[in-house]
Amino acid sequence: MVQLSQTLVHHFLEYSAITKPDKTALIHEDVRATYKQINSEANKLARWLLDHNITNGDRVILILENCVEYVIGYYGVLKAGAAVISLSSDIKPEGLKFCLGEIEPKVIISSSKRERLLQNSSIDSFNIKYLLLNKIKHTWNNISFKVFLLDKVIRDYSTLNPDISVKEDALSSIIYTSGSTGKPKGVMLSHTNIVANTRSICQYLKLTDKDIQMVVLPFFYVMGKSLLNTHFAVGGTIVINNKFAFPASVLNQMVQEKITGFSGVPSTYAYLLHRSPLKKFKDKLNSIRYCSQAGGHMSKQIKMELKSALPEKTKIYIMYGATEASARLTYLDPDMFEDKIDSIGKAISGVKMRIMDENGCEITDGQTGELVGSGQNIMMGYWKDISLTKKVLDHNGYHTGDLGYKDKEGFLHVVGRKDNLLKVGGHRINSNELEDVFLATELVLEVAILGISDSLMGHKLAAVVAPKNNDIDAKQLLGECAKRLPKFKLPSIVRIVRVLPKGANGKIDREKCFEIVNKTAN
Amino acid sequence: MIDIKKKVRAFIVENFLFGVDDELTDATSFLEDGVIDSTGILELVEFIEEEFSMSIDEEELMPENLDSLNNIELFLTNKLQKK
Repeated sequence: MVQLSQTLVHHFLEYSAITKPDKTALIHEDVRATYKQINSEANKLARWLLDHNITNGDRVILILENCVEYVIGYYGVLKAGAAVISLSSDIKPEGLKFCLGEIEPKVIISSSKRERLLQNSSIDSFNIKYLLLNKIKHTWNNISFKVFLLDKVIRDYSTLNPDISVKEDALSSIIYTSGSTGKPKGVMLSHTNIVANTRSICQYLKLTDKDIQMVVLPFFYVMGKSLLNTHFAVGGTIVINNKFAFPASVLNQMVQEKITGFSGVPSTYAYLLHRSPLKKFKDKLNSIRYCSQAGGHMSKQIKMELKSALPEKTKIYIMYGATEASARLTYLDPDMFEDKIDSIGKAISGVKMRIMDENGCEITDGQTGELVGSGQNIMMGYWKDISLTKKVLDHNGYHTGDLGYKDKEGFLHVVGRKDNLLKVGGHRINSNELEDVFLATELVLEVAILGISDSLMGHKLAAVVAPKNNDIDAKQLLGECAKRLPKFKLPSIVRIVRVLPKGANGKIDREKCFEIVNKTAN
Repeated sequence: MIDIKKKVRAFIVENFLFGVDDELTDATSFLEDGVIDSTGILELVEFIEEEFSMSIDEEELMPENLDSLNNIELFLTNKLQKK
């Protein structure tokens, strides 16, 4: 058999379409699409784009929730040689205008649900050539671009893979991340970045074509995207459920579809444990081979509760990474889950992780420094921001901005953010440690620890807390924390909320948490 | 006779739609149509529990019960009858 090339992101789909054409690649509500079907539709879209002079060097914006049309759009744009920029499905007009100004796309692919957003975002002033929608409900008049019904315009195009040359180091996607500072940054990823990272992830998760992944994380978020690419690379199946707000229905579907893998960020698991009947599903979830967690620090409390709530054989992979690393940098071997419960593990294959000091020297004696990652997965840079790129990328690799250390057995640990270093009265505070203490009281669903600038103390500590029950108050919480922490580590401000504000990717929105603290203070 | 749909609609329009309710029908799926995000669903649940003096179990957090005004009316009517 001819060795099929798999050096470009869309090769994952093309390879699976040849080797397993009739395998169910994607399940979403009533849709069950095979690899052949998805590849054919993506090819039609790619050919339409090429026919309209959209190819190497061009950019296409995708604004869709997780669905088969998203997947077709994503791979279709890549097959045409263009770069795909997938934006958050709850983006607001200001955010969209900002992206349009920076990205200068020729095409936008979206849905009728976003027509109002698109019409309120003055997209006419951004030289868009085509707007492709899955349905058209509104009227589009007096515009300089063309609006087409996606299915209709691609219908008559060939279903064969287009024969165009795309370079492995060409830009494949730009993923926006805001990180811990306000302004969104466009992370540029090449085909090689994503392909290398996808291969490493498949390796350590031991993914095969028998894997069936429940996807509740959005594809526009780099972790959600890795679920799509990894499972397509191995010829597995993804099951999309966009109703995680109703976790019981997600659990039912996991049993029904015999899911083998589930992935989430810390809040996903907090909800599964305390707002869903997960514990009652333990005996029914036999098919789950593993759960994986990334997207920030998850408290020890939640980790241990998750371990006991899941079937005994289910492995838990704790992972660490960054959008700038195409997703993944490290993972913790699940066999070390309890022994190294505070660790983010070791570098994935093809990646080197070092602890470095401010002078660019590697720290090898277990002291704390910045985590720096290098490998083929490290981004090309930030879109149109060379100076910011230079601040984080150098010959040593990508400077994560996270502080940590390597222990004697070579396991990595994160202690906090470089730019978020909390100091209260001269004491350095590890916010992860404080979050763990709040969770250990067993009164809390989620918490965010913030440092409010204080001219006298450096920082004042504030906690925004979502307790498990309505009748838990700040005094009770602090009382419990005081049993476990010295006084200087106790937050002086506590705000109780029903639920912590989150971004569309499920990660806690720290900026909104700051607003909560400042608003009620006034 | 409690008008469940009217009360819930008013809450949603005020808290999630900023007073604009032209696209919210009785059959509109809150999640699918982006009326309420996943965080908002919990706020809605809290409102329903307080307004109608009942508690909603984790197992009842299903789209069939809560993802549209029609579904909420059916779900709550059944629950209130059982009380």
